[in-house]
Amino acid sequence: MRPRTRLAAALLPVGALLLAWAPNTSAIDAWDGRLRIGGELSGTISPVDRGFFNYSSYELSSLRLFRASVSAEVQPVSSLALLVELRSDNLHAPEIDALYVRFRPWPKRVFDIQAGEVPPVFGAFARRRYASAEVLPGVPLAFQYLTSLRADAVPRNADELLSQRARGWSPSYELATNSKAAGLPFMDAGRWDVGVEARAGSGPIEIAAALTQGSLSRPGASDDGGQKQLAARLAWHPSPAWTLGLSAARGEYLTGEAVARFASSHPAHQAAWGADVEYSRGHLILQGEAIWSQWELPALAAPLIAAPVSGRGGFAELRYKIAPGLTLAARGEHLSFSRVNTSAGIESWEAPVSRLEVGLKYALRPRVSLKAAFQGNWRDAGRVRQENLVSAQVLLWF
Amino acid sequence: MVLTAAARAAALRCAPVPAAVLFLAAVPALCAEPAGLTVHGRVELRRPLGTVARRPSVAELGMPPGHDVPDRSRCVVYFEVAPQGAFEPLELPRAVLDQRNQAFVPYVLAITVGTTVEFPNDDDTYHNVFSLSKARRFDLGRYPRGRSKSIRFDQAGVVRVFCELHSHMSAYILVLAHRYFAMTDAAGDYQIGAVPPGTYTLAVWRDGSVRARRTLHVPEDAAQDQNFSVD
Repeated sequence: MRPRTRLAAALLPVGALLLAWAPNTSAIDAWDGRLRIGGELSGTISPVDRGFFNYSSYELSSLRLFRASVSAEVQPVSSLALLVELRSDNLHAPEIDALYVRFRPWPKRVFDIQAGEVPPVFGAFARRRYASAEVLPGVPLAFQYLTSLRADAVPRNADELLSQRARGWSPSYELATNSKAAGLPFMDAGRWDVGVEARAGSGPIEIAAALTQGSLSRPGASDDGGQKQLAARLAWHPSPAWTLGLSAARGEYLTGEAVARFASSHPAHQAAWGADVEYSRGHLILQGEAIWSQWELPALAAPLIAAPVSGRGGFAELRYKIAPGLTLAARGEHLSFSRVNTSAGIESWEAPVSRLEVGLKYALRPRVSLKAAFQGNWRDAGRVRQENLVSAQVLLWF
Repeated sequence: MVLTAAARAAALRCAPVPAAVLFLAAVPALCAEPAGLTVHGRVELRRPLGTVARRPSVAELGMPPGHDVPDRSRCVVYFEVAPQGAFEPLELPRAVLDQRNQAFVPYVLAITVGTTVEFPNDDDTYHNVFSLSKARRFDLGRYPRGRSKSIRFDQAGVVRVFCELHSHMSAYILVLAHRYFAMTDAAGDYQIGAVPPGTYTLAVWRDGSVRARRTLHVPEDAAQDQNFSVD
């Protein structure tokens, strides 16, 4: 265990005790409610993830993570708000994870504009930002699992791409601007884009669109020389029980430097389509989300990567409250990938992955929870093809 | 003094609760039957309590819907030691804690043990009422506008109620083992009627804790005026 992890593990029980004795409190407010501050503290432990199934683009495992975040909303007038969130993972220096202005031009109409580092409009899960809203400590594969594609490197040919299957935590290519970097997930739920977005609603229909930098796989990019992503979501709420959403996004996922050096005459876009659904009633919540994504790669050498590579991912999750304060959840998920022609034959360019996660959340107090989960992971290639992980999480929030 | 069977049963049902909570430990020797005297007065608040803040809506795509601000000025004034006859069974009491414009109304509900509380949803969104209080743990699940669910409260104590979907929604249910209590009105006035003559301890409870206590003697022929000033 590294020193920071040890320190985090030592601090967690102290924090738990402090909040366990503290009064039940909601978010902190001041200035007649126009300034609101909230926070969340979570510590998750699990055995070492030897197969890197839970590592994110931050090169952190979501199951071995101490996370502290503070968010604030300043609303000087009803039509304008400034929102900010600071987050620290494993006691590293806090980073600004969200910083944007929200503006509602017509007070009685559901039409909002947000500009800055904004929440993604694509899908639903990426906006489920807080551990307090979840039962399972793991992040769905489609929003975290690292494929062998890199933002700063391109495979010379299909054989080189195939050689990196199941090595998403550290894929290595000859044509790279950095010697080492992590791969890209379908959609990175841990980071948000910089740009502008608008949301309009009328009755049960809601439409949101965003113009931002980067792509779903690589949001928040600032060194791209103006490459933009367009994303949109249409949501329908036929009743409080149901939410149905359709999403689409298209943006450039390679860094500006990688494009200039390796793909100047080739497109390097990520295009994605998504569908999400939620049904809830009584003590039951069902959620599901599917993403189909394709990434354009330059055809540089034989055997050529003739067409964009693609992947399909999705999950279905069930939650049920079996007693006051006690919730059971289960999530099944799978990622599959398109095939490419290689010297060895036709193969999927990345190894399919499946996961089943089952867990319990117990609320000690309204804002103090304990979680425990079991996660089984299966992959069709790689050094570690199957891995079972047990995790536990302590969570405090206000 | 003789306790009725119902009084003994009610007292036994009361599990230990936080110190701020009324709990009947004993019933003193007092006059036999209520003489119809009134204890009344006004509770002045030295300082207002702030709003119950909504969590910052960083992950939203726009302005969240507005919500009402709960009235946190109301106090509950009650006898810590109740007169004889306080435990006589009442007819199946019922009360309502509404969910309206993303707020519980009222913010404080004082009831007697055995009361059934209805929780209607008057909003267009789901609500999910729950409590993890020792006096009553429950979770009503999600239900839409027009539906109502109910819970019976059989143990004295303070029950803190929340909505799982809206972090700014909370309320108190003060479950008392007898009927000698009153809520203050908008002006801070209260009135407890039909009080038998005797010596009592009067307590003022506000927003989670007892803010004042006073011993008073209720004579046989005069109403009592008891004013308080509390935080």
